Amino acid sequence: MSTTLEKAIRERREEIVSLWRGKVFDRLSDKISPGTPIGDAFVEGMAMILDGFASGDGSLRREGVTTVARILAVHPFRPSHALSMFVDLKTVLLETVPGGEEGAECVRRIDETTLEAFDSFMEHRETIYRLKVEESQKRMHMQLRGKRS
Amino acid sequence: MSKYLPKQSELVKEFEEKPGVLKGDYAKSEWWETPLEFREGNFCFPAKPEVLEELGFPNPRKWAPTDDDWKLPDGWQKTVMDGMKERLKKYRSLKLYLDSCMRCGACADKCHYFLGTGDPKNMPVLRAELVRSVYRNDFPLVEKILKGFSGSRKLTPEVLKEWHMYFYQCTECRRCSVFCPLGIDTAEITIMVREILQLVGLNNNWTLAPVANCNRTGNHLGIEPHTFVQNIESLVDDIEDLTGVTVNPTFNRKGAEILFITPSGDVFGDPGVYTMMGYLLLFHHIGLDYTISTYASEGGNFGLFTSNDMMKKLNAKMYHEARRLGVKWILGGECGHMWRVVHQYMNTMNGPADFLEEPVSPVTGTKFTNAKATKMVHIAEFTADLIHNQKLRLDPRRNDHLRTTFHDSCNVARGMGMFEEPRYVLNKVCNSFHEMAENTIREQTFCCGSGSGINAEEYMEMRMKGGFPRADAVRRVKEKHKVDSLVTICAIDRATLPPLMRYWTPGVSVYGLHELVGNALVMEGEKKRTEDLREEPMAGFEDGDDDEE
Ligand code: SF4
Ligand code: SF4
Repeated sequence: MSTTLEKAIRERREEIVSLWRGKVFDRLSDKISPGTPIGDAFVEGMAMILDGFASGDGSLRREGVTTVARILAVHPFRPSHALSMFVDLKTVLLETVPGGEEGAECVRRIDETTLEAFDSFMEHRETIYRLKVEESQKRMHMQLRGKRS
Repeated sequence: MSKYLPKQSELVKEFEEKPGVLKGDYAKSEWWETPLEFREGNFCFPAKPEVLEELGFPNPRKWAPTDDDWKLPDGWQKTVMDGMKERLKKYRSLKLYLDSCMRCGACADKCHYFLGTGDPKNMPVLRAELVRSVYRNDFPLVEKILKGFSGSRKLTPEVLKEWHMYFYQCTECRRCSVFCPLGIDTAEITIMVREILQLVGLNNNWTLAPVANCNRTGNHLGIEPHTFVQNIESLVDDIEDLTGVTVNPTFNRKGAEILFITPSGDVFGDPGVYTMMGYLLLFHHIGLDYTISTYASEGGNFGLFTSNDMMKKLNAKMYHEARRLGVKWILGGECGHMWRVVHQYMNTMNGPADFLEEPVSPVTGTKFTNAKATKMVHIAEFTADLIHNQKLRLDPRRNDHLRTTFHDSCNVARGMGMFEEPRYVLNKVCNSFHEMAENTIREQTFCCGSGSGINAEEYMEMRMKGGFPRADAVRRVKEKHKVDSLVTICAIDRATLPPLMRYWTPGVSVYGLHELVGNALVMEGEKKRTEDLREEPMAGFEDGDDDEE
C-alpha cells in the first residue's frame, strides 16, 4: 500500500475505527454486544486489521482477521452476513482516504483481506465440526482403552 | 462500575438505531415475545425414549427441539403448574428468589452466557423473569402484591420452549449470585425449572443417559466392575512403564481405612486419566490404606442437573459403600459438581453418616473438622496438609516444561469456598504459576461454559460462546506470561476446557492438579524420570542429563 494511503489511515485512525465499529455493531449487535468481553475482543481484532493496513504489517492484519473470524464463526451468521463487515470497511475507508490510484489500491487490499477472512471463517467453522467429531472419538477410545489388558 | 457495562452514549445509539426488543420490530410486543429459533448447535439432543423408560421418567418419545410439535403429554399445563406449586411450597429458596428480585440489574452483565452470546434473555435477571412472569400470572396473590411491576403471561408451548432453551443456557455456575445485593441464586431457579421440565419430558440426553447408567452400574459410562478395574490396572501398567514403580490400588477391600471416590472421568477420560495416575502415585508414596469401590465408581452426580430426588438416589451409594466396606472416612477426588452435592447436600440428604469417623489424616494426624458432618475430605485439602507437614518428597523442577495458570471450578469455588488449597499445592509442585485477572478467578471465576450437563458435542457452538470469557482470560495471561498449561480440579473442566482452548486459545493444554503432583513426586525405588505422566519430555531431565537431586 502506498505511503500516502498508509499515512491517511494513520492520521484518521480513531475516526475510521469509530465509523467502522458503528456500522459493524449495527449489523451484529444482537449477537456480539459492544462493551462485553466478546465485543471488546472483536473491536481489538478490528483495530489490528486497520493498524495492519496502516503500517503495512501483513501479520498484524492477519492476526486481526483471525480474531474476528474466530468470533464470527461461533455465531449463527451466514458467511455473507459475517463478512459484510469488510464491505463496511471499504465504505468507510473510501469516504475518508484519498481517491484515484490510492483508492484503487485500497479496494484491492480490502478485497484481499475479505478473501483471507472468508478462508479463516470457514476454517473456524471446520474447527468446530472437528472438535465435535474428536470429542466423540476420544470418548470411544477411552472406553476401549481398558479392554487392552 | 463494571468496565463491561455499556456506556450511556452506546446505549442511546443502540436504542435509536438498532431494531430490538425495546422498539422497532417488537414495539407492540412484550420482551418475551422476541422470536425463538432452535437450530443446529444451539440445543442438546433430547433423551432417548429407552433412557426415559429405564428411569421411569415421563413422556418417553422421539422428538427434537426443531420440531413444531414437541408432543407434550395431555394435561401438561396442569402438570407444570402443579409442579411449580409443589416446589414453591417445598423449597423456600425458590419462592424467596422469585419474590424478592428488585430488578436492580447488578447481575445483568455477570453471566458468561450473556457475555458470550449477547442475548438479553441470558441476563440472569431476565432468565428468572422467564419463569417469574408465568408465576406472577398464575398465582393471583403474588400478582396482587407485585402489581406495578412488569407484566405476566400465560403458560403456552412457546413459553416452555423458551424455558427449555434458556434454562439449558444457564450452567448453574452461581456467578450472578456473587454480585446480587440480595444473594439471589439463579442457579437454584434453573435447577427447579429443569426439574419441572422433566415432568413433561423436556430434557437432554447428555444428562439423562449418564443418570440412567449411574442408576444401573454406579458410573456415568455404564461401565461394569471388571472393566472399571481393568481401566485402573492399565493406568498402573502405565505408571510402572514411566516410573518403574508398581502401585497397588485395591478394590472393594473391606476394612480399609479410607474409601476413595472420584469422577469416572478420571478413570476413562483423557486427560483425566493422568490425574488418576497422580492420585495412585500419591497414595503409594504415603502408604495410604485405601480402597476403591467398583460400585461407588462415580463421584459425579448428574442427578444434580435432573431432580433433587435423582440426585439423592445416585449419591446414596457413597455412604452405602462406605458402610459396606467398613472404612473410617471418605476421600474425594478432583471434581466440581460432586463437591457441590457433597458439601451442600449430602449430610442432610443421605446422612447422617454416624457410622463413619471424623476424618483424620493417617499421615499427619490433622483433623479435618470442616468435614465433621459429611465425613468426606477433598483431595486438594488432603494433599495441601501433607505438603504443609513436609510429608511429600517433591521436585517441582519436574514440571518446568509447564507454565501454569489455575482455573477455579465454579462448584468448588462458589459452591464450597475452596480457593487457597489448590493454589498452595500448585505452587509447591511447579515453578511457574501466574494468575488470571482478578475479576475472573476465585469467587468471581468464569464457568467453562459447558457445566451442568450440557457438554454435548452437538452443543459445541453454544459451549464456545458461553466459554468465551474464561478462554479470553486465559488468552490474556498467556500473552502476558507465556502460560501454556491450564490447571483445574474438576473432571468436567478437564473434558470441556481442551476444546475451548483449542478454539479460542490454541497452545494451552489442560491439566489436573494431581497430575502435576504425580509428575513432581520423587518415588522410592523409581527409575530415572525423563517424561511426565503424558509421556512428554520434562525440561532438564532429558536422557543423558543428570541434574536431579
Ligand atoms: S448461574 Fe451462572 S449461568 Fe446461570 S444465570 Fe447465573 S451467571 Fe448465568
Ligand atoms: S442482582 Fe439480584 S436483585 Fe438485582 S436484578 Fe439481579 S437477581 Fe434481581
